[in-house]
Amino acid sequence: MKTTPPLIEDLARRFSTKLLLKHELNLSEHRFQYLITHQHIERVPGISSALNFHQCNRCLNKNQMLFGKIPQRNSKSIIYCKKCIQMGRVSTKEPLYRWTGPMPMRHNVANPLKWRGILTPLQEKASQKMVESVNNRSKLLIYAVCGAGKTEMLYAGIQEAIKQNKRVCIATPRADVVRELAPRLRRDFPTIHSAALYGGSTERDLNNHLVIATTHQLLRYENSFDVMVVDEVDAFPYHRDKTLPKAVARASKSDSTQIHLTATPRRSHKLQIATKQIPTVSIPSRYHGHPIPTPTFQAILRLNDSLEKDKTPTKITRWINEKRTNNRRFLLFAPTIQLAESLAEKLDMPYVHAESPYREYLIKQFRARNFESLITTTILERGVTFPSIDVAVIQADHHVFDEAALIQIAGRAGRSANDPTGDVTFFYEYKTNAMIQARNYTILKNKEAKRCTV
Amino acid sequence: MICYLCLKPIKEDTTWSNFLNPQHRTICDHCDDKLEQITQPFCQKCMKPTADQKCSDCIRWEQHFGQDPLERNVSIYTYNEYMKDLIARFKYRGDYELINAWKKNVRETFKEHFKNQDLSIVPIPLGDDRYSIRQFNQAEAIAILLTEPIHHILTRQDGQKQSKKSRRERVFSNNPFQITQPSPKSILLIDDIYTTGTTIRQAASLLKERGAEHVQSLTLIRS
Repeated sequence: MKTTPPLIEDLARRFSTKLLLKHELNLSEHRFQYLITHQHIERVPGISSALNFHQCNRCLNKNQMLFGKIPQRNSKSIIYCKKCIQMGRVSTKEPLYRWTGPMPMRHNVANPLKWRGILTPLQEKASQKMVESVNNRSKLLIYAVCGAGKTEMLYAGIQEAIKQNKRVCIATPRADVVRELAPRLRRDFPTIHSAALYGGSTERDLNNHLVIATTHQLLRYENSFDVMVVDEVDAFPYHRDKTLPKAVARASKSDSTQIHLTATPRRSHKLQIATKQIPTVSIPSRYHGHPIPTPTFQAILRLNDSLEKDKTPTKITRWINEKRTNNRRFLLFAPTIQLAESLAEKLDMPYVHAESPYREYLIKQFRARNFESLITTTILERGVTFPSIDVAVIQADHHVFDEAALIQIAGRAGRSANDPTGDVTFFYEYKTNAMIQARNYTILKNKEAKRCTV
Repeated sequence: MICYLCLKPIKEDTTWSNFLNPQHRTICDHCDDKLEQITQPFCQKCMKPTADQKCSDCIRWEQHFGQDPLERNVSIYTYNEYMKDLIARFKYRGDYELINAWKKNVRETFKEHFKNQDLSIVPIPLGDDRYSIRQFNQAEAIAILLTEPIHHILTRQDGQKQSKKSRRERVFSNNPFQITQPSPKSILLIDDIYTTGTTIRQAASLLKERGAEHVQSLTLIRS
């Protein structure tokens, strides 16, 4: 058998199954030309156009409003995609490159899983189903409540895939989740190569066994993964953006295993579950077996008015003082950045939002118990785990708090086995359907859980 | 209609005035609030924020040249964090159409300060290497917004990036510009950012050597 020269093998590891811009290849002009003439890489047009209708071949954007034009003095205007420009410009003059050379090798790991914990019977069931679907290359939806121990359920399936030298991707819409998952997976799979990819991460995927990435990062891949796990399928921006599911499909091999995880399925998934179009395992109880805390409703007269006038209603201050005297740590959810900011000022507490410059730092500090409380917008609604906290939602009747958001927020409380109960309080002025549905959901799931254990 | 900065649809109430006189908005209120226009007090010559009539930089330039080749600089925005992100997206990522977001203010500023002066508009050129990466010249992009004839009489030999040099290096580095024909009398130079004013003055002194009498500049940002 002919062996591949080490340099080519090295480049194959960097470029195979990806679609990259020239500057992302980061090659000297000499090497670049060598790869082109030896047909190790090929050009893929960045933008396909037909009758003035454009499509970006990286982010699959077809919204014509999101294409820009650069006028040229002597030639036709350049068309570029504005939607994915943060990842580098794709245009009619800037093509993508696809590796067509020899495929890289990946060393086999016999027994990658070093985690020795014990799964609950329900987790075990989901875990087995996943192993099956890894072997059958089929689809699976894991419908598990917040705090069911989803990550641990994946371990057996990941182990099985890696044993078969398959490539696994865990994708999630949120970078915070990637940052939280990656260290856990590395601790429990210490001998495999893994990469954590999100906007601003410096890690590189060299045809690794495991890639943990935001769904956006998958725009750079095609035909790459044998097992694709999408965590929090119902989360923004994945469920709103039509192109991200397409990008995830393109990043997976055609005969791949697709695992979707959710605690709060959206309507389309609920329909698929009800009509049995997608095999589903449902986990209604938490890994520690205790029920999910049911939200308490606290109506406050003229709440919106008094918040607008920069007053904090006594019911809220009383709740906070009670937590402080009992030495309970808590999260306060606010619907808007402005409200988070003004509350933070009045209550003398730190706050985070999507654009806050110290976001990562503040979350880390809160996790390290360096402060007792944190005000947040919906960015901390899902995926992140703080061991024992209480939760309150200010203006739970605000439209940003839909059913899924409220369920996820309630799911932040009582996550640890040592302290399985937690207080979840919704402060509101007008009761909304979303609030009632969120409460019904916890009651229903707790009932279901009881039935499963008996 | 979408905002050129956040790419979200611009919501606008329909009123009689915008129904009868539709004006295409290119930026939403939320993004517009984050852009910061330069306000008084500033140096009357280069628009650096200062309480004095003339800032220390400009006084130093006058000592350096004897007679400063640049008469006046007018800038529109401050270089705040948001603007830094936008400029990175505009110049280094190459999102050309961001200029549309600044269109209205660039035109208004031009009208306010330079109308009816019979100026020849000269954008600061870009070196070939960088042009081939970016595929456009940011100064020219701003100049196009003025809808006046543009004079491409300067060329540039690529050097090290300005933003990677120290102030001292910038001020004393060799003139990177060349001129292709004699200069018209009154010039308005266009560039994206005025930082130390070196680039503008290098171009201005070359133009003055070749026949220009008055050189002013319009820059998007005063940093």
